[in-house]
Amino acid sequence: MNTTVVKELNIEGNGSTLDFHIHDLVESASKVIVPLGPITNFAARNPWASLEDQPFEQVARRLKETSNVDIYPSDAVLKSAWKKGNIKQEFVELKLQQWLDLQSLNLPRDVAFQFCQVALLQNETSFESLSSTDLESVVKEISQYQLSFPKKTNVQTYSERLERMNGKQLNQLLNGQMIKWSKLYLDESQAAWSMPNREKGFYEAWRQLVSNDPAINRTVRKELKELPMQADQALMAALLGLQIPYLEVQQYLEAHLLALPGWAGMMLWRSQQSNKEENLVTEYLAVRLSLEYAFIKGYLPLPQLEEDEEELFRLLVVAWAKWGNMPTNSWLSLTFEEVEARLTLAHRFDQIVRNRILLEAWEQTYEVQLKKTIGSRASLEQDKAPMAQFAFCIDVRSEPFRRKLEEAGPFETFGTAGFFGLPIETCELGQKHSHPSLPILFKPQFKVNETASAMELKNYQERQQSVNLLNYSFKTMKQSLPSSLLLPEITGPWYSLQTIARSFFPRSTGMLIRKLRKNWLRKPSTELTLQQEQTNKDELPIGFSKEERVFYARQALRMMGLTEHFAPLVVICGHGSHSTNNPYASALDCGACGGASSGFNARVLATLCNMPEVRKALGEEGISIPHDTVFAAAEHLTTSDELQWIYVPNLSSEAKEAFDFIQNKLSKVSEQAVAERLLKLPGIEGNRKNPKAHAQRLGEDWSEVRPEWGLARNATFIIGNRELTKDCHLDGRAFLHNYDWRKDNNGSILENIIAGPVTVAQWINLQYYASTVAPHYYGSGNKTTQTVTAGIGVMQGNASDLLSGLPWQSVMQSDQEIYHEPLRLLVVIEAPTEYVQRILDKNQAFHQKVKNGWIRLASIDSEGYWESWT
Amino acid sequence: MFFSLDASLFPIVFLIVLAIAALSSIIFLNPNTPLSFIRIHIGLIALPPIIALMALISNDGGIIMGPLHFDSLSWLLAFFVLTISLIVQRYCIHYLNGDKAYRKYFTLLTLTTIADSVAWLSNDLRLLLVCWGATLFGLTLLIGLKKEWQVARNAAKICGCLFALSWGLLTLAIVWLTEVTNHWQLTDVLTASSMAQLDSWEQTSISLLFVVAVVIPAAQWPFQRWLLDSVVAPTPISAVMHAGIVNAGGIILTLFAPLFAGSSVQILLFAFSSISVLIGTGIMLVQVDYKRQLVGSTIAQMGFMLIQCALGAYVAAIIHAVLHGLFKSTLFLQAGSVLDHSQSTVYTKKTLPFKWIFTGSILALLVGIGYWLTSPEEGYQLVSAFMLGWCVFLAWVQLVAFGLGKVGRIFGLFVFVGGGIIYFYIHHLLHNALYETMPKVQTSTIGAILIIFILLLVSIIGLWLTRNRLSKLYTMIYLWLVRLGEPHEEGIESHPSYLKQILSQGGK
Repeated sequence: MNTTVVKELNIEGNGSTLDFHIHDLVESASKVIVPLGPITNFAARNPWASLEDQPFEQVARRLKETSNVDIYPSDAVLKSAWKKGNIKQEFVELKLQQWLDLQSLNLPRDVAFQFCQVALLQNETSFESLSSTDLESVVKEISQYQLSFPKKTNVQTYSERLERMNGKQLNQLLNGQMIKWSKLYLDESQAAWSMPNREKGFYEAWRQLVSNDPAINRTVRKELKELPMQADQALMAALLGLQIPYLEVQQYLEAHLLALPGWAGMMLWRSQQSNKEENLVTEYLAVRLSLEYAFIKGYLPLPQLEEDEEELFRLLVVAWAKWGNMPTNSWLSLTFEEVEARLTLAHRFDQIVRNRILLEAWEQTYEVQLKKTIGSRASLEQDKAPMAQFAFCIDVRSEPFRRKLEEAGPFETFGTAGFFGLPIETCELGQKHSHPSLPILFKPQFKVNETASAMELKNYQERQQSVNLLNYSFKTMKQSLPSSLLLPEITGPWYSLQTIARSFFPRSTGMLIRKLRKNWLRKPSTELTLQQEQTNKDELPIGFSKEERVFYARQALRMMGLTEHFAPLVVICGHGSHSTNNPYASALDCGACGGASSGFNARVLATLCNMPEVRKALGEEGISIPHDTVFAAAEHLTTSDELQWIYVPNLSSEAKEAFDFIQNKLSKVSEQAVAERLLKLPGIEGNRKNPKAHAQRLGEDWSEVRPEWGLARNATFIIGNRELTKDCHLDGRAFLHNYDWRKDNNGSILENIIAGPVTVAQWINLQYYASTVAPHYYGSGNKTTQTVTAGIGVMQGNASDLLSGLPWQSVMQSDQEIYHEPLRLLVVIEAPTEYVQRILDKNQAFHQKVKNGWIRLASIDSEGYWESWT
Repeated sequence: MFFSLDASLFPIVFLIVLAIAALSSIIFLNPNTPLSFIRIHIGLIALPPIIALMALISNDGGIIMGPLHFDSLSWLLAFFVLTISLIVQRYCIHYLNGDKAYRKYFTLLTLTTIADSVAWLSNDLRLLLVCWGATLFGLTLLIGLKKEWQVARNAAKICGCLFALSWGLLTLAIVWLTEVTNHWQLTDVLTASSMAQLDSWEQTSISLLFVVAVVIPAAQWPFQRWLLDSVVAPTPISAVMHAGIVNAGGIILTLFAPLFAGSSVQILLFAFSSISVLIGTGIMLVQVDYKRQLVGSTIAQMGFMLIQCALGAYVAAIIHAVLHGLFKSTLFLQAGSVLDHSQSTVYTKKTLPFKWIFTGSILALLVGIGYWLTSPEEGYQLVSAFMLGWCVFLAWVQLVAFGLGKVGRIFGLFVFVGGGIIYFYIHHLLHNALYETMPKVQTSTIGAILIIFILLLVSIIGLWLTRNRLSKLYTMIYLWLVRLGEPHEEGIESHPSYLKQILSQGGK
């Protein structure tokens, strides 16, 4: 070990500078994980959000070395894409040439190309098994050359190293302990007996408990008796004890955070929620490293890891035999330079590079197909003036519905982010909690409450309480011993009735229960608090001032590109989903609204746009909304592709006509949209003939693991006029945002689109990507073996990391077949080159994403010329 | 139509449809059978429970037919087990869609539950042993069916070992019993003359073997580990396990009831089961994983069922086992709804005026005493009356007193009364159906008083502990309960890496 550094550290340890350092180090280290919020507000997160300053490949290598996680698609996935023709050979070769261009190798280009090509396409026809004696002699020969390759530099935790070296299950033990303590501490399900001293913070509560924990062996427990009072001191003490060289401390902490990124991520999320817990990640690491030190003390110091060079050479020689058609004995006739060049090529052209080239070729194939689809659309006849206009969320599920809607009548549709640019926190009638209904990137600035008259509210609350009391009585009786023993006998008959009904009549039972509930609750008609109200300084203001109302209405209309030619009826459409018995229900809701339905925001915007004073102010700025135009709000139910009205004000006669016309067409539109979507869902279904009933069943059936596909297969984000994509069958894979560069001279609208909606979509895209390529690590595993824990998330099986991404069933068609194609989001901007260049110059973060391969970029200019920027 | 049948025809029809169900499950196993056959399969496995229900309703006295005996108890158990199987398999159609072992789940579920139901129909003890062994074996296979997953394999191994031990002990006990009495038929073994051939030490030893053999599948302390580790199994498998398999202990003790009459082994069973009730309830209170809370609850409920057996209240034990099974399977199947975010959680807590507590207490007292008076000669009736009174009080406070406004109170009252009526009606039905065929044993009044005393004492200690969360005692009890409820470290994997393997093998 590097003792001098440790000594220095020790000296430093007496000063206060160190505290400063350790918090800094923890903060930098936490960039390898992302905050993970409770699953009830499932918000898509890009698991590599803080690593975008590094190229994708570099992050891939690092995760492979520290956590053995591959973030490129596996060979099998790539192979199946290849077989389906989704990866074109020409692009593979193109990407390979580009890679070879960057390598300076002392090897004929055709030899190198041949080798790599065979390796990529896996045509191992010429491969004969090698005789082991030949192989050994060649390897011995090569070893004498004293070749050396760059060493792996990424740090692993000691418990991990120990486990790999001599199979001591310490890592598992440590993870088990961390899972236990974390879930007990983070519990929000209000376990009847909660962890004592929880109020004093994670480290303190743990410190007081751990020396008595019967699950830890006695000698280890003794080690844990004399722990420092403060978490940062404990963390320092553990680092010193483990003798981690100062320069490696950050990486060491990172490796520990990556061991259970979900639990650590939840700690990080909580630390951002309140000042009281702001050091929670430090506390978590203090607990984790103190435990590790106590477990591992007897094994210290650990021997250095020796890399087995001969094994490496053996692999490289075999690779050449397999892919370079090079018999073992031919090595002996090569010069040193030739041997070195060949080995270097084989070493550099490792699995990560191969998978990267194939993935990029796959992405390029998709890009070319998309280009063709958009280019091949039928020439557009001039539409007559639309009867109604609809604004939908950019969500990929809007695309098929919009297409069907446009086919059904003289309707015009727009795409914009589903929170409609409103930075609001919403509070539904009778609720105490409010929901930040905007992308998690932003903070809410206003609060909007749903209100009703005092009398109606009281009535509603009484009814709500009566229903909630059923749950509470169940809970109370469960937690009291004498009644808990009789509880199955009292509730058993009721449960049986429900079970039988739900099993054999899933659709009608689910609908009946919901209907009964709705009829009983009788939610009154409500108003929104849009006018500003006086509130405390430290609370969010309720409602908007007049200027703000105008500002947000204008911004929303400009963002969706609806500033002229208003139809008599404009429908603002939010979207939500409906599924039963699904912990991931909110993952199917609007991602731009923090995992909730965007209906509320739609209603706010429609109401704002109907206000006479807002219209007057907009008119003065050139957005003149005709007097007869009415804004309404609706909700697109993505599970059944239905459009439900949530706000319809008094209609003008023209608007009424449009409204009736829409009502007439809607059921057919739904049916067609559902029918297209249902074909893609796997299932043992007899009910294909009645798509509507089938879709309802999916939403109501308590045994359904795939109520809908959500945003699976999302691949592209198209920013441009609807004319560009109209009548194109985009297969529900595209986020569509309206944008007219002609109305955006200074580029501010594009800037907003890139900063908000594109980032949301990129996070969604990478979450699907990550859940597909590493389903065990970034996904949530199999739905059938999950258990909900602590009221905040799910674990697999008996216990596991707190799982963060999408479940296996949401990205896989079956255990054997993949559904979501792991492609990085392709952003297509319809604008002249200067516009795209300008946004890259202005928005460094976006530029970085493009440069480092976290997103892909293409543009179409006014002549229809397609340019790739990646 | 079937009602007009001669009662003796029910067994034959039942066995035929049972065979058809088994056959259909095997046909489905063949990869050439289209997946849509599953709908037909569900239709076919719906027949046996329907026949069993009809037989139960029209039952008049027991019939012995070859190695099987059909009476209200065995019909009820067959109906119950096969209904659970039907519901769970119906659930699996969509829930397991896409699973690699999709077909195997249905075959194994069908065969396991058929074996289970035949075990309780057996009059020949050899058949009982074979069927019960097959049930345990099938369950082990079901737990380990995700064979790519290391932790599932580990859990199956643990279950297999404990089940083998349990089955071995049961075999030993039964063989010993038949050796002494020279009969293999249950009805012959349990006659007074056969029983008289047993020496008292033999009776005690055999009883002891029985008790150890049944507490294992009931996951009683200290054998709870298999149930704790088998949370890895897919939800529907857990539902079957918690509903249909863990309660076998109560059934076996009921079948062999005359053997235990007056045996000191009863006291041992009582003691161990009481400990399990406390541990199970404790696990439920401290655990934060939903499925693990359910496991804790099952351990406690099964402990209670065995206490009922120990007190001689066999009818109550069977009713408890059946209703608990339906209750627990539902809770497992809807385990994904715990976090239902669409349900509002607003709850206005108000301070209760004394009059509500007073009326609640009076009501509870009246119901308790009234219930006890319906058959005061039964010792166990005291326990029921006590718990019922306790429930009445809590339900009154929670449902009625906490209700807001007139509407809320009326709604609460409606649920309260409705729940009560259904409770009494179902109990009345089951009690009447079972009473005739069940062994007549005088239940112990001292035991009943003891159990009430324990329940009260523990409730008071529990209350004290929750109010003194920072005491040393709370810490110790808390940590022990957490430890008892946690899975073994071999049952934990931080990330389910088998999915990565499936992904790298599959990908058609």
